[in-house]
Amino acid sequence: MFPPITLEILVLALGFILLLAESFSQSTSKRSLAKSAVFCLAWIFALSFFVTSAPANPEPGSFWNFYSADPVSMVFKRIALLTTMAVLVMALEYEKVLAKNIPSAREGAGTGEFFILPLFTCSGLMLLASAVDLVMAFAALELVTISFYVMVAYMRGSHASLEAGVKYLILGALSTGFFVYGITWIFGLTGETHFTKIALKLASLQGSDTAILFALVLVLVGLGFKVAAVPFQSWVPDVYQGAPTPVTAFLSVGSKAAGFLLLLRVLEPFLGVASIAHKILLVLSVLAGATLIFGNLAALPQNNLKRLLAYSSVGHAGYLLMAVACVGVAPSALGSVGATVGFYLFAYLLMTLLSFLVLTIATQHTKGEEIQHFNGLSKRSPFLAFALLVAMSSLAGVPLTAGFYGKFLVFAQAVNASQWTLIALGTVTVGAGFYFYLRVVAAMYWAEPADASPIQVSGLSKMIIVLLVAGIFVFGVNPKPVLSAFQTQQTPLASAH
Amino acid sequence: MSPILFWAFSALMLAFGVSVILNRDPVASALSLVASFLCLAALFVGLDAFFIGVIQVLVYAGAVMVLFLFIIMLLDLKAEKRRSFNKFALLGGAAVTALFVAGLLKVISAFPAGAKPFPALGVASVDDVRQVGLAIFTRFNLPFQTVGVLVLVASIGVIVLSRRQLK
Repeated sequence: MFPPITLEILVLALGFILLLAESFSQSTSKRSLAKSAVFCLAWIFALSFFVTSAPANPEPGSFWNFYSADPVSMVFKRIALLTTMAVLVMALEYEKVLAKNIPSAREGAGTGEFFILPLFTCSGLMLLASAVDLVMAFAALELVTISFYVMVAYMRGSHASLEAGVKYLILGALSTGFFVYGITWIFGLTGETHFTKIALKLASLQGSDTAILFALVLVLVGLGFKVAAVPFQSWVPDVYQGAPTPVTAFLSVGSKAAGFLLLLRVLEPFLGVASIAHKILLVLSVLAGATLIFGNLAALPQNNLKRLLAYSSVGHAGYLLMAVACVGVAPSALGSVGATVGFYLFAYLLMTLLSFLVLTIATQHTKGEEIQHFNGLSKRSPFLAFALLVAMSSLAGVPLTAGFYGKFLVFAQAVNASQWTLIALGTVTVGAGFYFYLRVVAAMYWAEPADASPIQVSGLSKMIIVLLVAGIFVFGVNPKPVLSAFQTQQTPLASAH
Repeated sequence: MSPILFWAFSALMLAFGVSVILNRDPVASALSLVASFLCLAALFVGLDAFFIGVIQVLVYAGAVMVLFLFIIMLLDLKAEKRRSFNKFALLGGAAVTALFVAGLLKVISAFPAGAKPFPALGVASVDDVRQVGLAIFTRFNLPFQTVGVLVLVASIGVIVLSRRQLK
């Protein structure tokens, strides 16, 4: 048994060691870097089940004032580790495309850091999962975002990747500006940055409701960019399409999980102020409705699979926001919403990583990312086609998949909160989702392939794909293990110090 | 700080900030940014935050901007051509800005604690630099370490994205 921060330290140490190995060892192949990273992350994942819990009363100067290790943070840490492993496997598959798009003297030169940067993103995500203080949350969020800037623009030879990098950098900087401005308002109002202390101070503030709301709205704008909520979604399609595919997968899972966890933690103190709680819920409902409609309807005419998944990512942010908007005014309600959001994010992670992994492997043989390039994939590789079929069904919400159960939880939450408008919107958008997700399936199974050569899948990728497919079915039929992991604590906030 | 000085420096800072965007010549833009930073430093000094004021001048107006100018002149960037603005984008931007300012004014007018004078700061037993150092290295140790990793990632990014010929 050892303190939970050891996990972050181990991930960072792994990153440093691999960086040094990359720089000083001439003979190391870049692929072995990624493989050893996946291997070590699996060990760190196993170690995460043997950590001690947080002390009840941390000393004033100790890092426990910024850091919590409640069960919810531990689940999110494990999610970050698993995602990073899947992304690294995807990066291995993507190596050839990457090498082609980096101006270099020798084949494969300069790809080393691409396999190491995800480790730093992972440590940022893990720190963010534990952050219970705005200063810490901000530092961790920026660590995640800045490593993403580099990875998005990594393919310097590709115009699309560079454009995506610049767009993401500029809009990301803007959203950071809003977020920091919001934090300064919160600090100005309460004089505190720790979430629990903010909650105490907010309850005693009289007659400054507008100022509190203004602070929260600024923070919401900042986080809205991260989770791709409408109207802050304009960067999503271009960045997702232009970025290297493994990075797109990481971005859509990691960035969203981080954003929603932080959203729940920030909202909790504010929902405790009775006079403004209903206004906050109204704002969240409007955001959720707009995101649902835009994400799902704009996906309808898309022919590029990566772009389709980008809009789908916006659409899923809509369902997640819908769950958050149903939080209700009672403070205990946040616990069940936390579990719903957590389960939905977990299901989203499985199916998104699966789609992007299949996409990464298949596009190298199909020479394109348009849906028509996937015509007849079932004849070229029944294995990949079945995996993508499962991913698309789960994204659409076909029963017995994890995606269905996630949507079911969200709608149940909405019925409990009597959010009838959102339920109506959600039903329409689920219908739209069935159309555009199953269009991909139709192309794979009913269209004739232009080139019928079979596609080979490497052993490591095969293993990950099997695990992801199994996960989608197992947790779709029996969601208990994931749900109970999130429900062990009443609220997603750390134990009140 | 006398209110007149505060308003004068604020107005100057904003004016130079606008000039950063409106100037098409990159050198003029960069120099406007320096001027804007200097006014901001003056505001910090006026609030008795001498350390932050000095750091603002040394790091931003000094090091960062010299680097900016160096790159601009090294790359020999020409003045950007005037483009015709997209009317809808211009209108939308103006509307969002107006809404934001209106919201800000409403919040400030409805915030009773904002009108009260701030209580005077007590005389510190140790100087600014020592206090900042103590806060960073003792209380904010974990965020500080995180920022350290962040800077490392940023520098890796700079190297990766700017190397000319990879071996």
